[in-house]
Amino acid sequence: MEINVNGNKIEIEPQPGEMLSSLLRKRLGLTGTKIGCDELECGSCTVLVDGQPVLSCNYPAARAAGKQVITIEGLADLYKPPSPGNSHSLHPLQEAFIQYGAVQCGFCIPGQLMTTYALLQRNPTPSEADIRQALKDTLCRCAGYPTIISAIQAAVHTLNTGEPLPPPQMPKTEAPLEVIGTVQTRPDAVAKVTGSALFTDDLQFEGMLHARAKRAMTPHAIVRSLDVSKARQLAGVAVVLTAEDIPGEHNHGLVIYDWPTLVGVGERVRYVGDSVAIVAAETWEIATQALDLIEVEYDPQPVISDPVQASQPDAPALHPKGNLLKHIKVRKGNMEQGFAEADVVLEHTFHTQITDHAFLEPECSIARLTEDGRVEIYVGSQIPYSDRSQAARVLAVPEDRVRVLGQLMGGGFGGKEDIMGQIHVAMLAVATRRPVKLLFDRHESLLVHPKRHATQIRVKVGACRDGRLTAVETELFGDTGAYASLGEKVLTRATTHSSGPYEMPHARADCYAMYTNNPPAGAFRGFGVTQSAFAVESMIDMLAEKLEMDPTCWPATSHSAHARCQGRLICAAPGVSLRRIKTPAWAAAHQTKPAPRWSCSPMALLRCAHLQLSWDRAW
Amino acid sequence: MMLWKNYHLARNLQDALEVMAAAQRESQSASLVAGGTDLLLDVQQGRHPPVDLMVDLTAIPEMTVLEVRQERLYIGAAVPLNRLIANPLVRQHAEALYEACSLIGGPQVRNTATLGGNVGHALPAADGTIALLAMDAQAEIASLDGLRIVPVEKLFLGPGRSALDPARELLTGFSLSLRQPDQGSAFRRVMRPQGVAIAILNFAAWVERNDQHISQVRLSIGPAGPTPLRAHAAEQVLTGSPFTPASLEKAYAAILAEARFRTSPHRATAEYRRHLARVLFEETLTTAWERAAKTQSGQSG
Repeated sequence: MEINVNGNKIEIEPQPGEMLSSLLRKRLGLTGTKIGCDELECGSCTVLVDGQPVLSCNYPAARAAGKQVITIEGLADLYKPPSPGNSHSLHPLQEAFIQYGAVQCGFCIPGQLMTTYALLQRNPTPSEADIRQALKDTLCRCAGYPTIISAIQAAVHTLNTGEPLPPPQMPKTEAPLEVIGTVQTRPDAVAKVTGSALFTDDLQFEGMLHARAKRAMTPHAIVRSLDVSKARQLAGVAVVLTAEDIPGEHNHGLVIYDWPTLVGVGERVRYVGDSVAIVAAETWEIATQALDLIEVEYDPQPVISDPVQASQPDAPALHPKGNLLKHIKVRKGNMEQGFAEADVVLEHTFHTQITDHAFLEPECSIARLTEDGRVEIYVGSQIPYSDRSQAARVLAVPEDRVRVLGQLMGGGFGGKEDIMGQIHVAMLAVATRRPVKLLFDRHESLLVHPKRHATQIRVKVGACRDGRLTAVETELFGDTGAYASLGEKVLTRATTHSSGPYEMPHARADCYAMYTNNPPAGAFRGFGVTQSAFAVESMIDMLAEKLEMDPTCWPATSHSAHARCQGRLICAAPGVSLRRIKTPAWAAAHQTKPAPRWSCSPMALLRCAHLQLSWDRAW
Repeated sequence: MMLWKNYHLARNLQDALEVMAAAQRESQSASLVAGGTDLLLDVQQGRHPPVDLMVDLTAIPEMTVLEVRQERLYIGAAVPLNRLIANPLVRQHAEALYEACSLIGGPQVRNTATLGGNVGHALPAADGTIALLAMDAQAEIASLDGLRIVPVEKLFLGPGRSALDPARELLTGFSLSLRQPDQGSAFRRVMRPQGVAIAILNFAAWVERNDQHISQVRLSIGPAGPTPLRAHAAEQVLTGSPFTPASLEKAYAAILAEARFRTSPHRATAEYRRHLARVLFEETLTTAWERAAKTQSGQSG
């Protein structure tokens, strides 16, 4: 068939089962078109076919015969500057996305730009509602929508008037420094708006194999038998590895080495995402076929599905030391005295659920051997040095024999701190001496990587009529799932923040970080405080209602008012530094509008800012 | 493992039907595909077996027509939904269908998804199907023996099962009556989340009014049983009645008697659907009623 891609006529025969996204990415090398979900939901793979934005992950390549296809790589060429002499290397939409800071992780940006370009073709002066409607199913997980919309509006101005791009409206900085207080562009923004930015799955190496992991798909069982012989015999399969093939330590982990790289015969499967075998084959399809040929028998075990159940004395022990990962305690004052001094005592139990990070780029790792026999791992990871030490342990080599090359990361949010495919590809590359890629699909990503901890949080508060807190007692059960990941760290923070940013003479917090058969829980923006802030702030709202006080400036008479009002004011007055907000009176003096009531506590946002500095700069 | 071995872009109806017949003779598995936003995803995710042959209908000229022909609005089964909703004829004559198709999938999906696929998939709560039922649409079905016309309501045997013979028949288009001055229609749905998923409940209504009385009415609901439901009993209650709360109350009781709402683990309980049925019934019928009044007084709906 003949198709026209970005103005070039191409003669190419569609392959069986081939979607347009595969043809573009794998055969034409146009990797600017991204695959986020591969199931028509996320919009990352949007390209234009005869001017219409379509999802190329579900568009048969054969259907594009005779049609004009435009991808992100062709966008810049579509712009004809008003004065022909001007040289423009980028389309105004691309310029605007850069200048307005609409480009963050960059993974969704090709889809955003192509969808927007099509919108402007049919409606050169879209309203904000039109823009939102057009981009409704082109998801940005970094939450860049306000900047995306303002960038589009700026580009519309330039396209319709021929004038230069209007500069972004920034809150005035009183004393700008050389960098702070001035508009800076991301160093990688140009590559991200032109589609030339390479994420791990965009990398190709000669002779590269494709890997897949056989997932247990049962939440709790002992592996009775495992037979990979049929899979090994399948044509196109290079190698199948099991726990017996692990050269070094079997377990990995960020803090505690409790997570098996592969679960062997006689060993315990602790969640559906545990792997029992890994395959490397000439194609992803063959690797997938091989998975079906692996025969595993399990002895099912009773399933522990929540942390309270895990804490019962008769619950089966998931790990050698039991189900308690850690009991975290905070003690201050005397609780009996604190509650005795209170005019009102309230108690309530709150629950929060598991949440997935839903970064748009699914996990991908590639490993290959260098000429001197070192292992190179290419991965978009939040903690590459930890990946290196964990991989070296399992491979039984010194750390300097493993090199992790951090790639662009299409969103992480805490969900790309743990080992996913890094060690598996390293083992397979060592075994085959060929480059090996392991790409998760969206289902596998949802199933396997650690989530936000589900919690049960009981909060008991005692307060005086004027709102001063006399005592806060909290009891948390955190579901850290099958493996520790960063559970201990996350839940320590949940515990220490479970009484909120308030002053109280008496406090007691107990947190039980429990192993269960759910997917592991680990880091996630907010790092545990999201859960405890939800509980304690909800409790303060209930208390305010009981005391007939205003929850937005609570309680006006004590020191804690500053903390609570700070939270509200930061949201109300963007661009104002934290130090400037000292008292509610400051707000009045600066005529800050009263903050709206928030459905979730702004304290969570405050903590996010704090945590970003303290724990991990990467997310 | 391959989703399909061969992909045939049919040039016309005859070509598509002959290729399907040949595949059957050679005992090859074959499937018709229009937009493919349901079917191809089902194949990709293992809910539908891979096939030897995909026969693509999107380039067949007869199936991509949208026009008024022989005093009826004709919509080709392979017209992409975005083209359908951008066409003023659809909004003018079948507002319920316009509203339903505006809600199917997301903006990009609607550039490939088709009404024929929505109906052919035979889901009891397909938005396009529910709207077509209230519009009393006729389906045009082609085979090598010729064309036959069947009311859309008669196309369904069960969830995911249509009355078409997939090996030798194909749905080529739909036709519906042109709107008369005293008629109006509407479609509403409730779903979670407000994105790309199947409705918890959807509802379409078409009404013809005679001053303050309902002279004719058609109501459809999904999912309210194994196949898309026309609420004939409720329609009978309303026909000839004044448009009053009392009439609507009686009709709602009739809906509850003929609809089979069930509890589904991921979407809603039967009880909630019964509650929603009242809300959506009142909203759609009232909207359709008001639209009929607007056209009566000469304004466009």
